[in-house]
Amino acid sequence: MKLNLYEDKNNNDEHVDVYYSNMRPVIRQIIDSVNSERPQLKGRPADEDLDDGEEVILDPKHIYYLDHVERKLFAYTADGVYRIMDTLASCEEMLWHYGFVRVSKSNLINIYKITQLKPDLNMKVYASFDNGERICINRSYKQSFNEYLQRMRRMR
Amino acid sequence: MMDRSRFVQYLIEMCCVYTIISVAGAIVNIIAGTQTNNVNVLVMFATCVIATFVLYMHKLFDNVSPLVMIIVQFLTACALIGLMLLGISLFIEPISARGWFEFYRSFTIPYIIFAAFYYYRVFAEARKQSELIRQLQQDHRDLQ
Repeated sequence: MKLNLYEDKNNNDEHVDVYYSNMRPVIRQIIDSVNSERPQLKGRPADEDLDDGEEVILDPKHIYYLDHVERKLFAYTADGVYRIMDTLASCEEMLWHYGFVRVSKSNLINIYKITQLKPDLNMKVYASFDNGERICINRSYKQSFNEYLQRMRRMR
Repeated sequence: MMDRSRFVQYLIEMCCVYTIISVAGAIVNIIAGTQTNNVNVLVMFATCVIATFVLYMHKLFDNVSPLVMIIVQFLTACALIGLMLLGISLFIEPISARGWFEFYRSFTIPYIIFAAFYYYRVFAEARKQSELIRQLQQDHRDLQ
């Protein structure tokens, strides 16, 4: 994508014009950044020993996956696990343009963090991440996962 | 377990399966110069009902591995077919040991072929998706 920057010290009306052919994820991300609406998840360390009561802001690009366990939502990053005060469904909607796709009732994974998709001998397909963890892609979500990848491919 | 719309869907699929099997059987008969009889037609229909029903249960196995699903479905189909053959043997005409063997063989071989094809598809599809993810990641890196 071509980027033009114009510096004018006398400009009192700073603005951004975006020329695009279709509304693909990268355009959506630019709009969110300009509007300061880039999604940020707020969480607290899941490990109570590390939790000092302060909320941590998580950038979606650092999250491997979200896991919903016993009505609690956790975000897994390279730095650790954080409890998120949000629902999995709202995260799914918010992070759609950021590479997050639902692969089971309780998991939303970041496709940009996947190192490999590999089936086991028992034919269950797992997404592996570079932190060594892996998440099973549930068979009932297989089609929607594939459709998501195809839509992302078409929107490149 | 099965609501009305799913039952209708099951009937449609079962009809499609029976049509394909009976047309294929008729073609084989024409080529081989053989003939079938009424009992064979009914057995073929009953086998289609059982096979479609067993395969239609796949939604119940969403949380188990596909391999377990394939094995459980096969064993269920074997049990139901056993009951069907027993019924025929008792009420219509006796089936010899060879008849039982032939029936199970003609049922098992296509099942194994389709299971192997499914197994291959799972691996091929994962490989394709893995490649697509790599391309998306590359594009994503280029844009950052």
